[in-house]
Amino acid sequence: MAASADTGIEMYDADIYSEHAQLRRPLAWSFGLHVAFAAFVVLYATYMQGFRGSGWGSGGTGDAMGATLVSSVPLPANPEQTTNVLATESKGLSKSQPAVEEKQPEAIPIPDKNTKVKPKPVISATKRKAEPEPPETNQIPYGEGGPVSGPYTMTAGGAKGGFGFTGSGGDFGSRYAWYVEAVQRKVTENWLKYEVDPGIREASRVYLTFDIGRDGHPSNIQMEQPSNVPSLNQSALRALQRIDTFGPLPSDYSGGKVSVEFWFDYKR
Amino acid sequence: MSNSARLVRRHFLIVVALLSVFTAITSAQDWIRTGTGLGVERVRLAAADFKASNSDPGNVNLLKTFNDVLWNDLDNAGIFDLVSKSFYPLQEPGQPSEINFSAWNSPPPNTSMLAFGNLGVAGGKVTVQGWLYDVKNEKSPQVLGKQYSDNATNDAVRVIAHRFADEIIFRLGGGVNGIAETKIYFVSERTGHKEIWMMDYDGANQQQVTHLGSISLSPRISPDGSRLAFSAINKGGWEIMMYSFDLNRIVAFPRFGGMNLSPSWSPDGKIAFSSSRNGYPNIFVIDPSGGNSHRLTEGKGPDVSPSWNRKTGSQIAFVSGRTGLPQIYTMESDGTNLQRLTDQGYAVSPNWSPNGQFLTLSWMRKYGGGEPGSNDLYLMDIASKQWVQLTHDAGRNDFPCWSPDGRHIVFQSHRTGSDQIFSMLADGSNVKQLTFKGANTQPNWSWK
Repeated sequence: MAASADTGIEMYDADIYSEHAQLRRPLAWSFGLHVAFAAFVVLYATYMQGFRGSGWGSGGTGDAMGATLVSSVPLPANPEQTTNVLATESKGLSKSQPAVEEKQPEAIPIPDKNTKVKPKPVISATKRKAEPEPPETNQIPYGEGGPVSGPYTMTAGGAKGGFGFTGSGGDFGSRYAWYVEAVQRKVTENWLKYEVDPGIREASRVYLTFDIGRDGHPSNIQMEQPSNVPSLNQSALRALQRIDTFGPLPSDYSGGKVSVEFWFDYKR
Repeated sequence: MSNSARLVRRHFLIVVALLSVFTAITSAQDWIRTGTGLGVERVRLAAADFKASNSDPGNVNLLKTFNDVLWNDLDNAGIFDLVSKSFYPLQEPGQPSEINFSAWNSPPPNTSMLAFGNLGVAGGKVTVQGWLYDVKNEKSPQVLGKQYSDNATNDAVRVIAHRFADEIIFRLGGGVNGIAETKIYFVSERTGHKEIWMMDYDGANQQQVTHLGSISLSPRISPDGSRLAFSAINKGGWEIMMYSFDLNRIVAFPRFGGMNLSPSWSPDGKIAFSSSRNGYPNIFVIDPSGGNSHRLTEGKGPDVSPSWNRKTGSQIAFVSGRTGLPQIYTMESDGTNLQRLTDQGYAVSPNWSPNGQFLTLSWMRKYGGGEPGSNDLYLMDIASKQWVQLTHDAGRNDFPCWSPDGRHIVFQSHRTGSDQIFSMLADGSNVKQLTFKGANTQPNWSWK
């Protein structure tokens, strides 16, 4: 090896040259083997055709895997765009009521994609009235699943409540369910449960009655049936007393006032 | 039978007949029986885009303005679960005969209420017809039907949309008037001076009110909306000033001497303010003309920022530093029955809710060296002293003020890096920035 930097280059040249001399023999072997392999391939292709399986590529036999042409795969036919995709694209909502969702394409056809289909007339409000009406007892005119023709009770979050209509006038609740819900919402919003004695875990129901005049103001607030907890009775009364108005009664309602029985259930 | 007996009998029959009619009327009384725990939810409401009622080319822009404003008003109301327009049927109605109930009252929209209508321009006038239908009740669906007409301008259409939205909110919100036509007054520095400005509740139509070229602060609009009291610095120092919207100019108002700040209107038009005319800042009350001044608090104070109970007018909340750091106190409107509401930190800017039940305040509950307190807004129930934090981790927040419907609060916040006006629902949700230009502070919501 190099004794000094000046002579280093010459010595590297000598090393490379010597390696060429050492590779000559393996290269010869490699060339010979490649030639032999090429000759084998040519001979095999020429003389061994008869050994190919007849089912190759045609779903054949034996252990070979079957395959078919792509064109023969039964691809799904082009879907006909007859439904309103946008209007029905709600997995969460439509899953809960599949029967209602099925009606949607009929109700809202896409005009330019239904040219071959005889368009069905849009059902108008007046024509719907001509149809046979469903039984009164099953009607739910307002609120999803909401009670209208009670009496009805339910339990939610430990608090029980009820809902119903009686009286000879009769149909205020079904005609103006939106107003009834506004009354219910407003009283509940104004009921401050922290006014009830914190030591009380459960109490019997408190019934209050009051009137709503045409201008919406509550009046004649009375404790119809108190509970066994005075602080609950007071909190229920205060809830009503905080309310200035429920909003005027519906303008087409002929009565001068509506009487309300409202109950409060308390459970901590 | 004598004539007198017949007469008595006839009168008796008339009385009986009248009584029977009266009894029949009273027995026909409708009853509602309902109670708590029935799942009180927001009203699910769909607002279909209004349609053009004619082919006038002016309809397009006005329809866009109307539909945008109506949607925003209903969305801001805080009482509706507004159904996304992506769920609406393709055929939206422009009038009642075009409603397909089953397309609206079942999924995907599954709405309870539907607002719809039409708009048309003719002869420079715009006519808008709007309806609100209870689409779950096909037998008696109409809740509201309104028609409006005005000049065919964007501003007029904005007002019409606000009015229709307010009608809907009034009907479905239990008789509480909507806020779509209310105004917010505030201090803005965008002209280089702190002047009083006003804007619609949604931040639109921002207009300069005062042009004093000095410093004007604490705008407070009167209950009837005709006058604006504020404090401004002039040659004599800080004085209470009065702007008349009837005359569109500043009107004369008595000068009291000393430093006079933070006016506040009572429901019946009296004004409470802080004045140091006697040496120390105390709370004074004057009548609407500035006369009949009398002092409510005594001592060194300082007592500032009075706020009347907007429902009763019988109580005043204010800020006092009499024990060191500023705290919130309440007293009767004659100065008696003083009570301290906050007992720690740094509490300022009380504002009484319209129903008289709550106070909002700006409170730094932990204040002092080594206390990384934040300046947040709180809601305090007056009766129980319970409080709720409304803002969290959002810069310095101050000057809360209730909307007249009691469902919203406007306030000043530094959360964007500069002082701006924001509004939110009274539970702290649905925060919206209303101002963007310059620095804007000290908002005050109109009474109606």
